[in-house]
Amino acid sequence: MSAEAGPVHGDEPAPPLAPEPYGPMPHAPSAPPEGMQRQRLHPLTPLLESVRFLTAVAAAVGIQMFTSRNFLFAIYAALAAAVVGGIASLIALQYRGFVIWGRELHIYGGVFTRSHRTVPLDRLQSVDLVRPLQARVFGLAQLNIEVAGGDGTDAKLAYLKHDRAVELRAELLSIAGRPGAQPRTETAEDSTEDVPAGPEPLVPTVTVRKLALASLLEALPVQLTALLLFGTAFAVTGSIFGFTKVATALWFGFFAPALFGYLQSTVSTVNRFLRNCRFRITRDGGNLLIERGLTDTSHETVPVDRVTAVCFDEPILWRRKNWRRVEVWTAAVSQQISVLKSTTALPVGGPAEVAKVAAEALPELPATFAVQRPPRRARWRMPLRWKRTGALLDEKAFVVRHGWWVNTYVALPYARIQSVQVVQGRIQRLQGLATVHAMSAGSVGHTAKAAHRDVEEAVAMAAELRRRADAAAALEAPRLS
Amino acid sequence: MNARAVPVWDLWPDGIEWQPMSPQLRTVWVLRSLLNVLILAVIAAVPLTIWLGWEGPLWALGGYVVLAGLRSLAVARTVKTWGYAEREQDLLVRHGLLTRRLSIVPYGRIQLIDLSAGPVERMFGLTTVQVRTAALASTTEVPGLDPLVAAALRDRLAVRAAEVREGL
Repeated sequence: MSAEAGPVHGDEPAPPLAPEPYGPMPHAPSAPPEGMQRQRLHPLTPLLESVRFLTAVAAAVGIQMFTSRNFLFAIYAALAAAVVGGIASLIALQYRGFVIWGRELHIYGGVFTRSHRTVPLDRLQSVDLVRPLQARVFGLAQLNIEVAGGDGTDAKLAYLKHDRAVELRAELLSIAGRPGAQPRTETAEDSTEDVPAGPEPLVPTVTVRKLALASLLEALPVQLTALLLFGTAFAVTGSIFGFTKVATALWFGFFAPALFGYLQSTVSTVNRFLRNCRFRITRDGGNLLIERGLTDTSHETVPVDRVTAVCFDEPILWRRKNWRRVEVWTAAVSQQISVLKSTTALPVGGPAEVAKVAAEALPELPATFAVQRPPRRARWRMPLRWKRTGALLDEKAFVVRHGWWVNTYVALPYARIQSVQVVQGRIQRLQGLATVHAMSAGSVGHTAKAAHRDVEEAVAMAAELRRRADAAAALEAPRLS
Repeated sequence: MNARAVPVWDLWPDGIEWQPMSPQLRTVWVLRSLLNVLILAVIAAVPLTIWLGWEGPLWALGGYVVLAGLRSLAVARTVKTWGYAEREQDLLVRHGLLTRRLSIVPYGRIQLIDLSAGPVERMFGLTTVQVRTAALASTTEVPGLDPLVAAALRDRLAVRAAEVREGL
C-alpha cells in the first residue's frame, strides 16, 4: 500500500509494525517487491517431506535386491536417488520461502506451478508448533498457521529449526496483536518436561499412569463389546455350519473387515494416548497454550476469545472415578472441514481440575450443571440414555447433555450461537415433542442439540436462546472476522 | 387432529405473517418429482421386460402412474408448508410436511447471501435465496421466489446484516 509498512530493504526480516495499522479498512493484498529477501526453509525439508515415498522406494529396492541378489542394482538406485533427489531439492528450495511484509505473511512454493499464498495476519487465529517424529530427529519443527475464513485458509511452514520456529511463532503472534505470546525461553530440545518454562501450568501434569488407566477404562467397554460380538458371531456360525470351510470362508469374507475396524480403533486409542502424554496447559495472556505428545510433540494455541464451546466428556467407566475430559471447540480448529476436530484442553482430570480448566476456557463457566431431563414420555425412545440427557439455559451458556457410552455436556455460550432450529420428526409430532438445535461456528458436528423437549418448552427455549444470544452479542465488541 | 399435532411454527412466534413461496414453485417441484420417478421407472422397466417379456413395460408404466401420483400429492402438500418471515432481529424459515423444521437466522450472524436459479427454475421465473452463517451445518434456503422478490429480500438482508454485525 504505502510506505508506512516499514523499511523494505535490508537483512532484517520483519519490518517493524506500522505505528498506525491499516485498520479495519479491507485492503487488497499487495505483493512485496521483487528484490525482497526471502527467508528459506531448512535444507532438509524436501527430504523430510518425501520420507514416506523414500521409505516405499527403499522397501521396493530392498525386495528387488533380495529376490534377484543383485546388490549392484541397489547401489545404482541409491546413487541415482541421491543425485536426482539432491538436485531436485536444491532447485525446489530456490523457489520456496516466506516473507513477512507489513501485516501479511507471504509464502512461496512450487517449481513448475508457482504458488504464492498471502496470509493476512490481522485475521490470524492460531499458530501451532508441530514436531512430527521424522522432523524431531533432526531438531526441526513445523508451523501450522490458521486464519479465519473458509476452507483452505490454513498455511504450513515446514520445516524450520526448532528455535527459529519458536521465534517466528512469537513474531507472528505479536504482529497479529496477541501481546501475551512472548517467546518462551526454551533452550535445548527435550528439556520441556524437565524445566517448565514460562508461566505455571493450570493443572498439574497428568501422570502417565493416570492417563494410561483412563485410556484403558475408556476403551475397555467398546473392546469388550466388540470381542463379545465377534465371539458370539463366530460361535453361532460355527455351530450352524460346523467349523469347516464354510465357517472359514464366512470368517474371511465377513468378519475380517470387522476385525480390521476393531484393530484400527485400538490403534487410534493408543495413538490418542501417545498424543496426550506429557500434557501441559498454560494460560498466557489471552491464549491457552497446550503442549503434548510423546513421539510427536505439538504445541497448540487456543485464543480464549475464539472458544465457541466447551465439552465435558465422561466415558462410562470413568463415572466411578469422577473423571472428565475437557474439549474446546474453536472457530479456528473447526475450519478444517474434512474432520470434526476439537482441541483437548484436559485429557483426564478430577472435578477440581476440570472446573479450573473450564473456567479458564470460558470465564465464569461452572463445571457442573443441573440439566433438566426431557419429559417422561420420551423415555422409550432412549431407554438407556434418558436419565443422562438434558438441557439447561444456564446463566452464560446453553448446556445440553447426551450420550450413554460417553456422556457429554456441551456448554455453548449464548454469544456464540449462530442460528437456532426447532425440528420435529413425525413420531415426535405424535408425542408432542421437538428437538432444539443451537449451532456454533464451524463444522457440521458443532451443534448443541436439546433432544425431545416438550413442544411448548422447545419453542420457548428457542425464543429465549435468540433473546439471550442477541443480548450477549450486544455486550461484545463486534469483530471483523 | 389433536392439539399435539399443531406444527411447531404455530406455537411460536405469535402474530407472524408467513410469506408464501411463489405459486410456480409447486409446478416446478411436481415436475421434478415426476421426472425423478420416471427415471426410476425406466430403470425398473429393463429387468421387468427381461422377466415378463412385453408385459414388463406396462407394469412399469402402471407403477409409474401410481407412484408419481402419490409423490406429486406429497410434494404439493410439502410446498404449502414452506414459508419465511422477516422479524426485527432474525429471519425465520419453516418447512417440512412430516419432519417440521423452523430455522431462525439472526441478521447479525449472516455471512453470505447467495441467489441461485437452476435451468428449470429459470424457465418458471424462480430464484432461490441461500443464507449462510459461520456454522456450516446451517445453510438456510428460501426456494422459489420471484427474482424481484428474491433480490429485494437479499438487499434487505444484506443491509440488516451490515447494521447488526455480530462475530463468530
